[in-house]
Amino acid sequence: MDKEVVCVKEILAILPAPVRSVLSILPEAVLESIEEVRLRQNQPLEIRYGQQASYVTPKGQLTANSRQGWIFTEEHAVKLLNQISQHSLYALEEELKRGYITVVGGHRIGLAGKVVLERGEVKGIREVTSFNIRIAREKRGVAQKVLPFLFERGKVLNTLIISPPQCGKTTLLRDLARSISYGNQHASSRKVSIVDERSEIAGCLNGVPQRDVGPRTDVLDACPKALGMMMMIRSMSPEVVIVDEIGRAEDSEAIWEAIHAGVSVICSAHGFDLAEAVRRPMLGKLIQQGAFERYIVLSRSGGAGTVEGIYDGALHPLKREEVAWSS
Amino acid sequence: MVKLIGAALVLFSATMTGWHIGKSYANRSAQLRALLLALQMLETEIVYGSTPLHRAFVKIGHRVAPEVGRIFLAASEQLVRHEGQTTQVCWQTAIEQHWADTALCKQEQDVLLHLGYVLGSSDREDQQKHLKLAVTHLRTLEEEARLEQYKYEKMYRTLGVLGGLLLVILMF
Repeated sequence: MDKEVVCVKEILAILPAPVRSVLSILPEAVLESIEEVRLRQNQPLEIRYGQQASYVTPKGQLTANSRQGWIFTEEHAVKLLNQISQHSLYALEEELKRGYITVVGGHRIGLAGKVVLERGEVKGIREVTSFNIRIAREKRGVAQKVLPFLFERGKVLNTLIISPPQCGKTTLLRDLARSISYGNQHASSRKVSIVDERSEIAGCLNGVPQRDVGPRTDVLDACPKALGMMMMIRSMSPEVVIVDEIGRAEDSEAIWEAIHAGVSVICSAHGFDLAEAVRRPMLGKLIQQGAFERYIVLSRSGGAGTVEGIYDGALHPLKREEVAWSS
Repeated sequence: MVKLIGAALVLFSATMTGWHIGKSYANRSAQLRALLLALQMLETEIVYGSTPLHRAFVKIGHRVAPEVGRIFLAASEQLVRHEGQTTQVCWQTAIEQHWADTALCKQEQDVLLHLGYVLGSSDREDQQKHLKLAVTHLRTLEEEARLEQYKYEKMYRTLGVLGGLLLVILMF
C-alpha cells in the first residue's frame, strides 16, 4: 500500500465513526495530500491539503461554502476526545497542559477550548472544542541537498537552520538525525541525541520514536531543551545533539556547554532570513560569538523545504564547489 | 410415613429459605467491602499510576471478589470493544449486565452510576475527589448494611426454622 495512504489510515482509525466515514470517501488524490484535519465544535469539517483548504460535505465532496460542510457536533467532540485519551483524560494531564497530544504514528493533535488556570499557570484544557489533526509525513532524503556542507575533516559542523514556520525545519532536522545516525557518503555513522521538547522530531509515543530517526539515536522526549541538552551530554555521550526551536536565554548557555564539550550541535530557530535571525537578542548573540559554523535558510518558495541558502560561520554564502574544495 | 417425609421437606425448605435470606445480608456487606476496595484501588491507579481506565479496570477486576470484579472486567471490555461509545454508557452497560449476580442494592447502584458520568473525563485531582466522594457514600451504606446484617441475619434464620415448624404443626 502507498505510504502516504498509511499515514491517513492511522489517523482515520482514531476518529469517531461519523467523521471517519465522511473522510474515507474523499478522493484518493486528496487523501494522499491531506496535511491537516480541522474539527471545531458546531463548525464544518475542514481539511488542508497541498496549498489549499476546503470544507467537506456529508457526501465527501470538497466545497468552499461553509454552509454545505459536514458539521462537527459536541457529541462528536466528546467521542473524539474519549478515543484519543482512551477514556482516560487524567492520563493526559501533561499533554493538556502543553495543548497537544501525540498519537500512534507520530501525528499531532492540537487542542483548544476552555483553559483552566492554577496560580497563573495553565493547568489544562477542560472543554476541548477545537482539534487540529496534523498528519505527520516523513520526507526521507531532504537532508541530501545540505549534507555535503555540514562536514569538515570528518566532524559534523555546528549548524543553525533558520526558517519561517511550516517550511520544513523539523523535517530537515529529522532527516539529518537519520542520515548522521545511519552514516552517509560524507561521514561514518555517529551517536546522535535528540532533545525533543515538543515531540515533533521523533514523534515519540510512550517514549518510543514513531519515526525512523536512525539506529544510533537516543531521544529525550518532552524535555525542556536546555535541561535536556545538559542531561544528554552528561549521560549519553553523544557526538551530535539535535534540538529544535531554540530562542530562550538558557538555551544559549546549553549550546555553548555542548560546543565546549566537543559535541556538535544542530538546531533550528524561527526567522525569515539570516539578517533577521541576527537581530533577535539571544540568537544574534550566539551568531556574533561564532557558535555556529553553518547556517541553512529555508523557505517555501519552491514548496516546503526549499533551501534558500547555506552560509558559513562568517555569514558568507557557500557554493557546492567551495565545500568540495575545502574538504 | 408419607406425611412425616412431607413435614421434613417443608421444614427443610423453610429453613433453607430463611437461611438464604439471612445470607444475602451477609453477602451484601461483604460485596460492599469488595466494592470499597475496588474503588480505592481505582483511585491509586488513576492518581498515582495514571493508568488508562481500561487497563485499571482489568487489574482491579482480577483482584477483587468475583461478583464485583465481573463488573469491572465487563466495563473494560466495553471500553475496548465499543470505540466511539461514551465512558458513561460503557460503565452503565457493564453494571446492568452483572448487577443481578450481586447482593447489592439500588442505592449502591446509584452511587456507581453517578460515578460513571465523571470517570476518566477530568484531571487526576478531580477524579480523586469524585472517587473519594463515592467511597464515603459507600462506606455509610456499608455501615448500614452491617447493622442490618447484625439485626436481620439471625432473625431470618430462626424465622425460617420456626416458620417451618409452625407449618408442620398446622399440618398435623
